[in-house]
Amino acid sequence: MAAAASSAPSSGSAGDGTRATSKWLDAHYDPVANLHTFSSCVTLADLHGDGDYKLVVGNFGSTGHEMKLKVYQGTSLLSENTLPDLPTSVVSFLMEQHEPRMPALAVASGPYIYVYKNLRPYFKFTLPPMEPNPMEKVVWEQAKEDKVDLLSMKEMLEAIRENAEMPLSVQSLRFLTLDPPEMDSFVNQHKSQPIKRQTVMTCMATLKKNRVDEDAISCLVIGTENMEILILDPEAFTILSKVTIPSVPTFLDVAGQFDVEYRLTVACRNGSIYILRRDSKRPKYCIELSAQAVGLVRIQKNIIVACSDETLRGYTQKGKKLWGVTLPATPITLGIMDEKFQSFQAVLVALANLEVHIYRDKNLVNVIQVPDIVTSISFGHYGREDNTLIMTTKGGGLIIKILKRTSTFHKGDTAVGVPVAQSIKLSVPKKTKLYVDQTLRERESGVAMHQVFQTDLSRIRLMAARAYVRALECSMTPVSESLQEPLKLNAVVQGMGPTFKLCLNLQNMSENRAVANLLICFVYDENRYSIERPFFKAPMLIPGLNYPLATFVECLGDQGISDIIKVFVLSEGNSRPLLTAHISMPVSEGLAAA
Amino acid sequence: MGLFDKLASWLGLKKKEVHVLCLGLDNSGKTTIINKLKPSNAQAQDIVPTIGFSIEKFKTSSLSFTVFDMSGQGRYRNLWEHYYKDCQAIIFVIDSSDILRMVVAKEELDTLLTHPDLKHRRIPILFFANKMDLRDAVSSVKVSHLLTLENIKDKPWHICASDALKGEGLQEGVDWLQDQIQIMKT
Repeated sequence: MAAAASSAPSSGSAGDGTRATSKWLDAHYDPVANLHTFSSCVTLADLHGDGDYKLVVGNFGSTGHEMKLKVYQGTSLLSENTLPDLPTSVVSFLMEQHEPRMPALAVASGPYIYVYKNLRPYFKFTLPPMEPNPMEKVVWEQAKEDKVDLLSMKEMLEAIRENAEMPLSVQSLRFLTLDPPEMDSFVNQHKSQPIKRQTVMTCMATLKKNRVDEDAISCLVIGTENMEILILDPEAFTILSKVTIPSVPTFLDVAGQFDVEYRLTVACRNGSIYILRRDSKRPKYCIELSAQAVGLVRIQKNIIVACSDETLRGYTQKGKKLWGVTLPATPITLGIMDEKFQSFQAVLVALANLEVHIYRDKNLVNVIQVPDIVTSISFGHYGREDNTLIMTTKGGGLIIKILKRTSTFHKGDTAVGVPVAQSIKLSVPKKTKLYVDQTLRERESGVAMHQVFQTDLSRIRLMAARAYVRALECSMTPVSESLQEPLKLNAVVQGMGPTFKLCLNLQNMSENRAVANLLICFVYDENRYSIERPFFKAPMLIPGLNYPLATFVECLGDQGISDIIKVFVLSEGNSRPLLTAHISMPVSEGLAAA
Repeated sequence: MGLFDKLASWLGLKKKEVHVLCLGLDNSGKTTIINKLKPSNAQAQDIVPTIGFSIEKFKTSSLSFTVFDMSGQGRYRNLWEHYYKDCQAIIFVIDSSDILRMVVAKEELDTLLTHPDLKHRRIPILFFANKMDLRDAVSSVKVSHLLTLENIKDKPWHICASDALKGEGLQEGVDWLQDQIQIMKT
């Protein structure tokens, strides 16, 4: 009842403003359900064969130490089984044909698969042990006969770990992590036991044995840390098939039937996806992703992968890329939404920005706002409802949403191939003779044209550089290049004529040195202009300050012609100017008007 | 009144016929309730999920009910609206133990109440908060709160806690419905 009570106030907030238009009903939200898990450890199964589907969660616990297999019915917890180790995957599968069809649960955890029937432990499958390193074996045999001391034993094991291709056993690895005082008791405790090397499971899926029906018996398909894919018989738990792949599998998708034809799609830790078929000894196709896969689902014949570089990509079953979309945030997990009544299939992508996006192919069809980051997502039968979306969050919450009966999704652009814009004809003008001739010429003597252009370009650069050097040498520039007197000159002409005001702005650019004894001199055509003070002494220039020096210029002629007045900045006792400025005088408006 | 009715039936006068729709989600107990209301010799032993709909008849002291027992499965719920036009009362059955799907029941009820064929008609609605025998069933008050029945202002409604397997609470509901229909008629 507590769960129901908590759902009532919070369900409103989960929908937020979108409630009016939402396609989902907020059935239940328990923010403190204490469910810490990932999509691979969540499954929906009709455990009692009565049409009332349960939610099975392989729970890690908030600290990662209270591993439990939890089963939910409706809004309440139905049962709890303690798990001995962290689960890597939980699936439900039918083991046998007996009526009523009650699926068993398989929990992959370390090197074991725990099989539960009717929520009771039924069978434990252990992965076959692997051959231990012979050198390691020798070391432990010596330890057994007390022929070796602890420190040299540690050295030898470390050397084996560094050099040998075959990894060490768990026992040796644990020994290497110990402090010297603990070593002795550890060796005494373990030396009599034979060393074992065992791999662990990384992912698990189911594969129908020989029929496609919903209630057909299924084999278990497991991926292991030593880069193998195993297929297990559901009744005898013998290994039916074994394939080695180039990397450690992380996500697994299986299609088809074991006895007929099947296809395994495996996303691996090296950022590649391998596609294998029945009887193939090595991967048939390989997709190299640009980033690590975050999730993998298959919709009909297409593979859809979310990558950690915020992309969602679609591939064909032969590994050809169909499309790619950029996601607005980092994807956390992926789920498939298979709505049977309208036969609508889409991908659910939980994102780090508190949203769940639903993509049909590359089209975004719906966005769900969630109150916390979703870490596991599953869609399907729950209770008696067909279209239920179940999510668990980072904070351990449980969100259950039900798809409204009346909601329909925009099916998106279903046309495969070119986008619409590509088929619109542009009115390209016809090619003229000139254009054709030019093209021909370019095609024939492309190299020569390029060389001519490069020569001209080099020449113009040379000319520019020369002119610049000359200007610097003659101090014709308004910025002084001398290190002792770094000056800047800027001249402005004010007024309309015949009398103009000539303002010179002189600035000392040096950091701390003042400049004194500067002279300013104007050179001009004396028939045209008369200047009040054609030669005067500048004040001492303090660094950084701007000195406005003004003088009046009178235009003498009445033809309305303008000329250039040259300004020189000189230092005392030196005939070469420090700075030169050419001032283009404007036409005297006063005279022209008169 | 009772005497008059008896006299009327004795004289062979037909009882008034009313059409009633029985709605609710799948597995809420609609067929079981209707079955329990029928005379004991006509009751079915096994109740199976209804496909489409079935028509059942039963009589009370003054009325003859024709019940359209609609299937509650998701894929048949779009049939409901075709029967809204010529019904004179609605029985809405809720599984009080299915808290998860209470939102679905509310959604279906809301679409029912806003449907143009029913929106402006003042027809009585009888709610059965069924499966009261189950351990995790919530009270009828809680059910009416979850479905926000207090917002129904323009139609007479009544909620009854019921246990269709034993037949508890059914008669109370049907009596209310009969009274309402008779008020409507007069």
